[in-house]
Amino acid sequence: MKKFFAVVKREYVQRVRSRFFVVATILGPLLMAGFTIVPALMFGIKSGGPTRLAIIDQTGKLYGRVAKELQGDRSTRDQPPPEKAEEPPGLKNDPRERAKQNGNMIQGSFEVEEAKLNGRSLNEVRSELASRVASKNLDGFIILPPDILNGEQPEFRSRNTADLFTKSKVENSINRALRSQRMLENGIDEKKIEKMSEPITLNAQDAGGKESKGESSFYLVFGLGLLIYMSVLLYGQFVLGAVIEEKETRIAEILFSSMRSFPLMMGKLIGVSLVALTQMGIWAVAFLSLSAWLAGSSFTLPHIAPLVFVYFVLFFLMGYFIYATFYAVVGSMVTTTQEGGQLALPIVLLLVMGFYLSFNVIRSPNSSLAFWASMFPFFAPITMLVRIVTETPPLWQILLSLGIGVVTVVGLMWVAARIYRVGMLMYGKKASIPEVLRWIRQA
Amino acid sequence: MDETRPTLILDHVSKSFGDFVAVRDLSLQVRRGRIFGLIGPNGAGKTTTIRMIVNITVPDSGRVELFGQPMSTALQDRIGYLPEERGLYKRMKVGEQLRFFAELKDVKGKEADARIDKWLAKLQLTDWKQKKTKDLSKGMQQKVQFITSVIHEPDLLILDEPFSGLDPVNVEVMKDTILEQKAANKTIILSTHQMEIAEKLCDDVCMINRSRKVLDGKLRELRRSESRNAVALRCEGNDGILKDPALVLNVRQVGDDLEVLLAEGVSPQILLKRLVDADTVVTKFELVEPSLHDIFIAKVKETS
Repeated sequence: MKKFFAVVKREYVQRVRSRFFVVATILGPLLMAGFTIVPALMFGIKSGGPTRLAIIDQTGKLYGRVAKELQGDRSTRDQPPPEKAEEPPGLKNDPRERAKQNGNMIQGSFEVEEAKLNGRSLNEVRSELASRVASKNLDGFIILPPDILNGEQPEFRSRNTADLFTKSKVENSINRALRSQRMLENGIDEKKIEKMSEPITLNAQDAGGKESKGESSFYLVFGLGLLIYMSVLLYGQFVLGAVIEEKETRIAEILFSSMRSFPLMMGKLIGVSLVALTQMGIWAVAFLSLSAWLAGSSFTLPHIAPLVFVYFVLFFLMGYFIYATFYAVVGSMVTTTQEGGQLALPIVLLLVMGFYLSFNVIRSPNSSLAFWASMFPFFAPITMLVRIVTETPPLWQILLSLGIGVVTVVGLMWVAARIYRVGMLMYGKKASIPEVLRWIRQA
Repeated sequence: MDETRPTLILDHVSKSFGDFVAVRDLSLQVRRGRIFGLIGPNGAGKTTTIRMIVNITVPDSGRVELFGQPMSTALQDRIGYLPEERGLYKRMKVGEQLRFFAELKDVKGKEADARIDKWLAKLQLTDWKQKKTKDLSKGMQQKVQFITSVIHEPDLLILDEPFSGLDPVNVEVMKDTILEQKAANKTIILSTHQMEIAEKLCDDVCMINRSRKVLDGKLRELRRSESRNAVALRCEGNDGILKDPALVLNVRQVGDDLEVLLAEGVSPQILLKRLVDADTVVTKFELVEPSLHDIFIAKVKETS
C-alpha cells in the first residue's frame, strides 16, 4: 500500500508541477470558450457590407413590399454590433433583443434598388445587371415576372449562390410580399394585413412554467460534453505516454522488482486522475468566483446546479477510468509512442462517437436512442451528462448508467492487469492480439 | 537465520515462453558474503534467471528460496537490482528520482535523504542532485541507477553488466564499491560478459549456455580442475629438452614467455628438474591456469 502511494505521489507531483499543467489550466477555459463560441460566430457573421440587390418588378406592384421585407425594420438595423467574442451571444438577458440581433447578424443587411425597364427589353436589362454583378458593384438581382401572383416563378441571380442565408431571406421576403399582395387583392385592407402578419417571438418555457434556460443552456450542455470529451482524451493520452515511457526506458523492470504490477498500474491511473480533478477543481473555483463577482452586472454566467458538479465529476471519472485503462493496456502492448498512437485510434473513435451522439441527445434527450446511448458505458460519460443537464432523467437511469460504468471499469481493469503484467516486460516487438488473448487466459 | 545456509537457492528451476525454453532445470546456490558470477553468452538465459530471482517472473517448475524462505513479494525489499537495460525517469531531478526509488523499497523521510546524500557524495554526483536526469552523461546516469539498487541497503545485490558504459576511472570506483558491499557481508550476484572483471571479482561462478548450466563452483577450484598441465617458461639455452616428445606435447610463444604443454603423466616438477640438471638459466617458471575466458570458450564450444 505504501508503494502504491509512492507511485500515486510521483505521478501527481511531477505532473502538477509541470509547465504543461500550468499552461493548460490557464488556457483550457479560453480554448473551451473558443471551441464553443467561435464556430457559432463564424457561421453567423456575414463579413463585408450589406448585400446589394436590384429588383426588376414586371408586375409594378410588388417592389415596395419586397424591398421593405428585405430591409426589415429600420430600427433594428442600426443597432451596435454584437458583444465581444468572450461573451457568447446567448448570454445576454433579454431573449427578444438577442433574437433580433442574431437575425441581423446572421442575415446581414440589404441595400435594394429598383431596376426599371423603361421601354427596354427584359433581356437587355438583365444583361446590364449581370455585368454589374460581374463588376462587383451589385451582389445580385431579382426578376419578378408579370404573372408571379398566379404562380409564375421569380428569378434570382446572385454572385454567390452558396450563400444560403441570403437566398432564404430573399425567398421569405418575396413570399411574404406575395401573400400580402394577394390578401389586398382579395379585399382585405392594408391595416388588417399588417395586424395579421404581426410576427411573434417564441419565448420557450419548460413544462413547469419557468423561463427556459434557452440558448445559454445549450452552450452549457455543449460545453460540459466537450469538457468531458476533451479531458478524457487528454488525460487518457497522459496515461498512454506514462506507460510507454516506463516500458521504453525499462523502468518497468525495476518497478516490477519492487512491487506488484496491479498496484503499480492503479497507482498510475489514480495519480493521473487526481491531476485531472485538481485542474477541474481550479476551474470550478474560478467559475464560481467569476459568477459571484459578476452577480448584479449585466453579464451573467449560466447557472449550474451544485448537483451537476457532482454528476460531472462522477461521469468524468467513469469515462476516465474506462478509457485510461484501455490506454494503459495499449501502452503495455507497444514499443514506441507512434505505435501506441495507431493502436489507440479505435479507442479515440469510440470516444468521438459518444461526443457526436451527444448532439442528437441534446435535441431529444428522452428518445430511446438517448436512453441506450446513455446506458452504453463507452458513450455514457458524455451522453448521460448531457441528458442530466438538458432534461434530467429519472434517478434510476442515472444510477443504472453509473452502475454499468463501475462494472465495466472493474472488468476492464481485471483484463488490463493481466495484459499489463506480461506486456510491460516484453521488448522488441508489438504484441499481437492472439498473444494478448493468451496472456489473459494464462494469467 | 542459519549462517551456513546459502542466501539463495535455485532448485531445478525451469521457465519457458511458449515453445522457447529460456531456463532448463537450473540449480545453483549463492552463499552469503561472496560475489557470485553468472556468466554466459547473450540469450543463454541469464536475464530470465535474474528475473526469477527478483520475483518479476515466476518459474514454471522448481523452487526459488531466498534467505531461507520461499520467494515472495515481501522479500523483494531485501534485494537490490541493477538491470542490464537501465531505466530512469528522464525528466525527473536526480534527487527526487532517488527519493522515489527509495520509497519503492520502503525507505523514507530523513533516513532516505541522508542515504541519498551519502551515496551522491561517494560517487561524486552531489552537484547534480538538482539536475534533470536527461542532462546527465550516460556514465553518470549509470551511477545514479546503481544508487537506486543499493539505497535500501539490500542483503542481496544483483548487478547485470554493472561496468558497461563506464570509463576506466569509474570502472575502478564501481569495483571498489562492489568490494565494499562484499566486505559488509552482503551477497552479490554479478552477471557479465567481461571475463577479466569477473575473474578479478568473483569468488564463485556459474556458467549458463543455451538455457542450461554448464559449469559452476569456486573460481579457484574451477581453474585448477580445468588446468591443462601447462607451464609458462622463460629460460636461456637447452631447447633440446623442450623438443623431447616424451616430456612435452607442444610449445608456443606467448609474449616473452614460452607456454609449454606437458605430456600426460609428466608433472611440472619433472620438467623443472630436467632443466636445472642441464644447467639451464630459468628466469620464470609458473604453472599456467586457464583464464575464465578460455574455460568459457571451451565450454561453449563443447555444449554448442
